[in-house]
Amino acid sequence: MSMMRRRKKVSDEIPTASMADIAFLLLIFFLTTTVFDEEKGLSIVLPEAAETIEVSQKNILHLVIQENGVIRVKRGESPQEQMVQASEIASIWRLDVAQNENLIAAVKTAPNAPYRLMIDVLDALQSAGANKISLQILE
Amino acid sequence: MQQGGFKRKSKAAMDIPTSSLADMAFLLLIFFMVSTTFPSERPRRMTYPSAEATEKLDAPRKDVLHLYLERDGRVFINDASVMMEEVNNVVGPLYAENRALIVQIRADEDVAYSYVDAIQKELQQANAVRVTFYTNLERRITRERR
Repeated sequence: MSMMRRRKKVSDEIPTASMADIAFLLLIFFLTTTVFDEEKGLSIVLPEAAETIEVSQKNILHLVIQENGVIRVKRGESPQEQMVQASEIASIWRLDVAQNENLIAAVKTAPNAPYRLMIDVLDALQSAGANKISLQILE
Repeated sequence: MQQGGFKRKSKAAMDIPTSSLADMAFLLLIFFMVSTTFPSERPRRMTYPSAEATEKLDAPRKDVLHLYLERDGRVFINDASVMMEEVNNVVGPLYAENRALIVQIRADEDVAYSYVDAIQKELQQANAVRVTFYTNLERRITRERR
Protein backbone atom coordinates (compact mmCIF):
# COMPACT_ATOMS: atom_id res chain seq x y z
CA MET A 1 0.00 0.00 0.00
CA SER A 2 2.72 2.39 0.84
CA MET A 3 4.35 1.63 -2.50
CA MET A 4 1.37 2.80 -4.50
CA ARG A 5 0.99 6.06 -2.68
CA ARG A 6 4.55 7.18 -3.00
CA ARG A 7 5.17 8.64 -6.44
CA LYS A 8 8.50 8.24 -8.00
CA LYS A 9 10.41 11.41 -7.35
CA VAL A 10 13.38 10.45 -9.48
CA SER A 11 12.96 10.95 -13.21
CA ASP A 12 13.78 7.97 -15.44
CA GLU A 13 14.84 9.97 -18.51
CA ILE A 14 18.42 10.22 -19.69
CA PRO A 15 19.56 13.77 -19.04
CA THR A 16 20.07 15.53 -22.36
CA ALA A 17 21.64 18.63 -20.95
CA SER A 18 25.06 17.73 -22.31
CA MET A 19 23.84 17.22 -25.87
CA ALA A 20 24.68 20.76 -26.83
CA ASP A 21 28.16 20.36 -25.37
CA ILE A 22 28.85 17.29 -27.45
CA ALA A 23 27.51 18.96 -30.58
CA PHE A 24 29.76 21.96 -30.06
CA LEU A 25 32.75 19.76 -29.39
CA LEU A 26 32.26 17.92 -32.68
CA LEU A 27 31.74 21.20 -34.48
CA ILE A 28 34.89 22.70 -33.09
CA PHE A 29 36.80 19.57 -34.00
CA PHE A 30 35.74 19.83 -37.65
CA LEU A 31 36.32 23.56 -37.75
CA THR A 32 39.88 23.21 -36.58
CA THR A 33 40.84 20.20 -38.65
CA THR A 34 39.48 21.36 -41.99
CA VAL A 35 42.19 22.47 -44.38
CA PHE A 36 41.45 24.24 -47.59
CA ASP A 37 43.69 23.37 -50.49
CA GLU A 38 44.11 26.50 -52.49
CA GLU A 39 44.65 26.44 -56.19
CA LYS A 40 47.28 29.06 -56.73
CA GLY A 41 50.57 29.59 -58.44
CA LEU A 42 52.24 31.27 -61.38
CA SER A 43 50.38 30.72 -64.61
CA ILE A 44 51.85 30.55 -68.03
CA VAL A 45 50.72 29.34 -71.44
CA LEU A 46 53.24 27.11 -73.15
CA PRO A 47 53.70 27.37 -76.88
CA GLU A 48 52.26 24.47 -78.85
CA ALA A 49 54.65 21.74 -79.84
CA ALA A 50 54.96 22.63 -83.50
CA GLU A 51 55.04 26.38 -83.03
CA THR A 52 58.20 28.25 -83.67
CA ILE A 53 57.81 31.94 -84.17
CA GLU A 54 60.48 34.07 -85.76
CA VAL A 55 61.35 36.98 -83.56
CA SER A 56 63.93 39.60 -84.29
CA GLN A 57 66.85 39.65 -81.88
CA LYS A 58 66.25 43.20 -80.77
CA ASN A 59 62.96 42.18 -79.19
CA ILE A 60 64.52 39.52 -77.01
CA LEU A 61 65.95 39.88 -73.52
CA HIS A 62 68.00 36.77 -72.76
CA LEU A 63 68.11 35.66 -69.14
CA VAL A 64 70.40 32.69 -68.61
CA ILE A 65 70.03 31.09 -65.20
CA GLN A 66 73.15 29.28 -64.10
CA GLU A 67 73.43 26.62 -61.44
CA ASN A 68 74.91 28.99 -58.89
CA GLY A 69 71.94 31.32 -59.11
CA VAL A 70 73.67 34.12 -60.97
CA ILE A 71 71.74 35.23 -64.03
CA ARG A 72 73.43 36.36 -67.23
CA VAL A 73 71.45 39.10 -68.89
CA LYS A 74 72.05 39.67 -72.59
CA ARG A 75 70.11 42.13 -74.62
CA GLY A 76 69.18 40.92 -78.12
CA GLU A 77 71.85 42.43 -80.23
CA SER A 78 74.67 43.59 -78.04
CA PRO A 79 77.23 40.96 -77.05
CA GLN A 80 77.81 42.34 -73.59
CA GLU A 81 76.47 40.40 -70.64
CA GLN A 82 75.46 41.53 -67.20
CA MET A 83 75.62 39.25 -64.17
CA VAL A 84 72.72 39.91 -61.85
CA GLN A 85 70.73 38.42 -59.01
CA ALA A 86 67.10 37.45 -59.33
CA SER A 87 66.03 40.45 -57.27
CA GLU A 88 67.28 42.87 -59.92
CA ILE A 89 65.35 41.27 -62.77
CA ALA A 90 62.13 43.17 -62.07
CA SER A 91 63.76 46.58 -62.42
CA ILE A 92 65.79 45.51 -65.46
CA TRP A 93 62.59 44.33 -67.13
CA ARG A 94 60.73 47.53 -66.35
CA LEU A 95 63.50 49.67 -67.79
CA ASP A 96 63.84 47.60 -70.93
CA VAL A 97 60.15 47.20 -71.68
CA ALA A 98 59.68 50.95 -71.33
CA GLN A 99 61.95 51.32 -74.34
CA ASN A 100 60.56 48.40 -76.33
CA GLU A 101 57.03 47.29 -75.64
CA ASN A 102 57.36 44.20 -77.84
CA LEU A 103 60.08 42.81 -75.62
CA ILE A 104 60.07 39.08 -74.96
CA ALA A 105 61.88 37.53 -72.03
CA ALA A 106 63.70 34.35 -72.99
CA VAL A 107 64.48 32.48 -69.78
CA LYS A 108 67.03 29.70 -70.30
CA THR A 109 67.76 27.57 -67.25
CA ALA A 110 70.72 25.27 -66.79
CA PRO A 111 69.61 21.61 -66.58
CA ASN A 112 71.04 21.04 -63.11
CA ALA A 113 69.91 24.33 -61.65
CA PRO A 114 67.29 23.98 -58.89
CA TYR A 115 63.75 24.71 -60.00
CA ARG A 116 63.32 27.52 -57.52
CA LEU A 117 65.82 29.68 -59.40
CA MET A 118 63.54 29.60 -62.44
CA ILE A 119 60.56 30.37 -60.21
CA ASP A 120 62.38 33.35 -58.71
CA VAL A 121 63.03 34.77 -62.17
CA LEU A 122 59.50 33.98 -63.39
CA ASP A 123 58.15 35.58 -60.22
CA ALA A 124 60.23 38.73 -60.77
CA LEU A 125 59.11 38.99 -64.39
CA GLN A 126 55.42 38.49 -63.61
CA SER A 127 55.60 40.93 -60.69
CA ALA A 128 57.02 43.48 -63.10
CA GLY A 129 54.10 42.84 -65.43
CA ALA A 130 55.76 40.80 -68.14
CA ASN A 131 53.43 38.57 -70.09
CA LYS A 132 55.63 37.51 -73.00
CA ILE A 133 57.85 34.96 -71.37
CA SER A 134 59.52 31.97 -72.96
CA LEU A 135 60.82 29.15 -70.77
CA GLN A 136 63.63 27.08 -72.21
CA ILE A 137 66.39 24.80 -71.10
CA LEU A 138 70.02 25.74 -71.56
CA GLU A 139 71.55 23.34 -74.04
CA MET B 1 3.00 52.24 1.93
CA GLN B 2 3.33 51.52 -1.76
CA GLN B 3 6.15 53.49 -3.41
CA GLY B 4 5.54 52.22 -6.89
CA GLY B 5 8.10 49.48 -6.73
CA PHE B 6 7.15 45.91 -7.42
CA LYS B 7 6.04 44.23 -4.35
CA ARG B 8 5.27 40.88 -5.83
CA LYS B 9 8.07 38.77 -7.22
CA SER B 10 7.39 37.84 -10.79
CA LYS B 11 6.46 34.21 -11.12
CA ALA B 12 7.47 33.91 -14.82
CA ALA B 13 10.97 32.59 -15.49
CA MET B 14 13.43 35.24 -16.60
CA ASP B 15 15.92 32.96 -18.33
CA ILE B 16 16.27 32.87 -22.09
CA PRO B 17 15.16 29.39 -23.09
CA THR B 18 18.24 27.41 -24.08
CA SER B 19 16.40 24.34 -25.20
CA SER B 20 17.04 25.14 -28.87
CA LEU B 21 20.79 25.39 -28.36
CA ALA B 22 21.32 21.75 -29.22
CA ASP B 23 19.18 22.16 -32.35
CA MET B 24 21.32 25.05 -33.55
CA ALA B 25 24.51 23.17 -32.84
CA PHE B 26 23.32 20.13 -34.75
CA LEU B 27 22.21 22.24 -37.68
CA LEU B 28 25.64 23.81 -37.97
CA LEU B 29 27.28 20.44 -37.63
CA ILE B 30 25.13 18.90 -40.33
CA PHE B 31 25.85 21.84 -42.61
CA PHE B 32 29.61 21.33 -42.27
CA MET B 33 29.38 17.58 -42.61
CA VAL B 34 27.41 17.90 -45.83
CA SER B 35 29.51 20.62 -47.38
CA THR B 36 32.95 19.24 -46.59
CA THR B 37 34.70 17.68 -49.53
CA PHE B 38 37.71 15.49 -49.08
CA PRO B 39 40.46 15.69 -51.70
CA SER B 40 40.72 12.51 -53.68
CA GLU B 41 44.52 12.47 -53.54
CA ARG B 42 46.70 11.89 -50.57
CA PRO B 43 48.50 14.97 -49.32
CA ARG B 44 52.19 14.94 -50.13
CA ARG B 45 54.96 16.43 -48.11
CA MET B 46 56.98 18.69 -50.40
CA THR B 47 58.65 22.02 -50.08
CA TYR B 48 57.16 24.29 -52.66
CA PRO B 49 58.93 27.44 -53.84
CA SER B 50 57.56 30.83 -52.83
CA ALA B 51 56.71 33.60 -55.21
CA GLU B 52 55.32 37.07 -54.74
CA ALA B 53 53.34 36.99 -57.95
CA THR B 54 51.36 33.97 -56.76
CA GLU B 55 47.74 34.33 -57.78
CA LYS B 56 44.66 32.27 -57.11
CA LEU B 57 43.46 30.20 -60.01
CA ASP B 58 40.01 31.15 -61.19
CA ALA B 59 39.29 27.75 -62.63
CA PRO B 60 36.83 25.39 -60.96
CA ARG B 61 38.36 22.50 -59.08
CA LYS B 62 37.52 19.90 -61.70
CA ASP B 63 39.47 21.77 -64.36
CA VAL B 64 42.75 21.59 -62.46
CA LEU B 65 45.01 18.56 -62.73
CA HIS B 66 47.67 18.18 -60.07
CA LEU B 67 50.97 16.91 -61.33
CA TYR B 68 53.45 16.19 -58.56
CA LEU B 69 57.16 16.25 -59.30
CA GLU B 70 59.32 15.06 -56.46
CA ARG B 71 62.90 16.00 -55.87
CA ASP B 72 64.25 12.80 -57.40
CA GLY B 73 62.28 13.38 -60.57
CA ARG B 74 59.39 11.01 -60.01
CA VAL B 75 56.08 12.17 -61.41
CA PHE B 76 52.74 11.45 -59.76
CA ILE B 77 49.37 12.13 -61.33
CA ASN B 78 46.20 11.17 -59.40
CA ASP B 79 48.26 9.23 -56.90
CA ALA B 80 49.80 7.00 -59.56
CA SER B 81 53.47 7.09 -60.40
CA VAL B 82 53.98 7.98 -64.05
CA MET B 83 57.19 7.61 -66.04
CA MET B 84 58.37 10.85 -67.60
CA GLU B 85 57.82 9.53 -71.12
CA GLU B 86 54.26 8.48 -70.28
CA VAL B 87 53.12 11.88 -69.06
CA ASN B 88 52.04 12.73 -72.59
CA ASN B 89 49.91 9.56 -72.77
CA VAL B 90 48.32 10.19 -69.39
CA VAL B 91 47.53 13.86 -69.85
CA GLY B 92 46.50 13.59 -73.51
CA PRO B 93 43.17 11.80 -72.92
CA LEU B 94 42.41 13.98 -69.91
CA TYR B 95 42.89 17.09 -72.02
CA ALA B 96 40.80 15.63 -74.84
CA GLU B 97 37.90 15.20 -72.39
CA ASN B 98 38.24 18.64 -70.90
CA ARG B 99 39.62 21.35 -73.14
CA ALA B 100 39.66 23.80 -70.28
CA LEU B 101 42.10 21.67 -68.33
CA ILE B 102 44.88 23.47 -66.51
CA VAL B 103 47.84 21.41 -65.40
CA GLN B 104 49.19 22.57 -62.08
CA ILE B 105 52.82 21.50 -61.73
CA ARG B 106 53.57 20.97 -58.06
CA ALA B 107 57.29 20.52 -58.07
CA ASP B 108 59.66 20.44 -55.15
CA GLU B 109 61.71 23.59 -55.09
CA ASP B 110 65.06 21.81 -55.35
CA VAL B 111 64.28 19.47 -58.22
CA ALA B 112 66.67 19.80 -61.15
CA TYR B 113 65.22 21.99 -63.89
CA SER B 114 65.79 19.31 -66.51
CA TYR B 115 62.82 17.37 -65.08
CA VAL B 116 60.61 20.45 -65.23
CA ASP B 117 61.66 21.04 -68.81
CA ALA B 118 60.89 17.42 -69.70
CA ILE B 119 57.41 17.81 -68.17
CA GLN B 120 56.83 20.94 -70.20
CA LYS B 121 57.79 19.16 -73.42
CA GLU B 122 55.48 16.25 -72.61
CA LEU B 123 52.61 18.63 -71.90
CA GLN B 124 53.25 20.47 -75.15
CA GLN B 125 53.01 17.17 -77.02
CA ALA B 126 49.71 16.45 -75.28
CA ASN B 127 48.55 19.96 -76.22
CA ALA B 128 47.80 20.79 -72.60
CA VAL B 129 49.46 24.18 -72.77
CA ARG B 130 47.73 26.01 -69.93
CA VAL B 131 50.14 25.43 -67.11
CA THR B 132 50.47 26.79 -63.60
CA PHE B 133 53.52 26.39 -61.40
CA TYR B 134 52.30 25.85 -57.85
CA THR B 135 53.93 28.29 -55.42
CA ASN B 136 53.33 29.57 -51.93
CA LEU B 137 52.65 33.25 -51.56
CA GLU B 138 55.76 35.03 -50.44
CA ARG B 139 55.18 38.26 -48.66
CA ARG B 140 58.14 40.51 -48.51
CA ILE B 141 57.75 42.48 -45.34
CA THR B 142 60.67 44.78 -45.90
CA ARG B 143 61.26 46.15 -49.34
CA GLU B 144 64.83 46.52 -50.43
CA ARG B 145 65.69 50.16 -50.79
CA ARG B 146 68.17 51.03 -53.49
